[in-house]
Amino acid sequence: MSTATKALNNLIEAARLDADHVFSAPWEARAFAIALKLSEAGHFSWDEFRDRLIAEVGASERIRARDGTSDHGEYYEHFLRALERLLDEKGIVL
Amino acid sequence: MSGDHHNTDDTGPAARVKALEAILTEKGLIDAAALDAIVDIYETRVGPRNGARVVAKAWTDSEYRKRLLANATSAVAELGFAGPEGGHLVAVENTDRIHNLVVCTLCSCYPWPVLGLPPVWYKSFAYRSRAVSDPRGVLRDFGLELAPEVEVRVWDSSAEIRYLVIPERPKGTEGMSEDALAGIVTRDSMVGVAKIAAPASRRIDSGRARA
Repeated sequence: MSTATKALNNLIEAARLDADHVFSAPWEARAFAIALKLSEAGHFSWDEFRDRLIAEVGASERIRARDGTSDHGEYYEHFLRALERLLDEKGIVL
Repeated sequence: MSGDHHNTDDTGPAARVKALEAILTEKGLIDAAALDAIVDIYETRVGPRNGARVVAKAWTDSEYRKRLLANATSAVAELGFAGPEGGHLVAVENTDRIHNLVVCTLCSCYPWPVLGLPPVWYKSFAYRSRAVSDPRGVLRDFGLELAPEVEVRVWDSSAEIRYLVIPERPKGTEGMSEDALAGIVTRDSMVGVAKIAAPASRRIDSGRARA
């Protein structure tokens, strides 16, 4: 079984065990809610946030492609880093 | 695993989120109750049950099905489903000859109003990197083997366009009501990584289908 197949199978299995599972940890839910709330309040647009998220995800993937490793469901780590970066750029958190 | 992803107790994500929330609360930009409300909405109220109602209606109401295929954004809004990340929604229909599969190769674009937030595997590199290059292999990972003559169409979601798969209505469901049909439509089938089992074999799987 290839590494990619194995990684996907692990994630599929995790989703099966907990079908309604949206967040893996309370901090993920909190980070999501903070981003959505600030976006709804007009501090940034969701598109601006998505651009940072795509950049974080892409950077991680270039490392994975180089090292031949697969992810373990760390999406919200990218999400949080994207949020921190955007808030910093916007001068919202000083 | 890359070194920069290791976290200590002080700089781990939970601690960073807590610090961020404290600063933003102090600045009056957020409050705990508003965050709780958002989490509640996405954990319990916005989810694949919405999409299942759309699919069940499309199966039982041919005029609605036409409207859904013509303009999914307005057709789902008829049922009250709209909101963030609903943008421009496109419905694609599975048949005995065409199987549609949805992915977001860049990040995690997904039709929130009808499916809620995406599952972990949808956001994974393993899924995103292979759904386009080896869709049949990915489907096999989900336990779905398609006949060679079935054409697989892969849709790459973006900030502009989101997709909802209308799965095939299983045989043996002719007498079922729209509500009962909505109960058998799974999230995975609306992303295109699964088919919906016929009623007889579905019972074994009822734990998973429940939402």
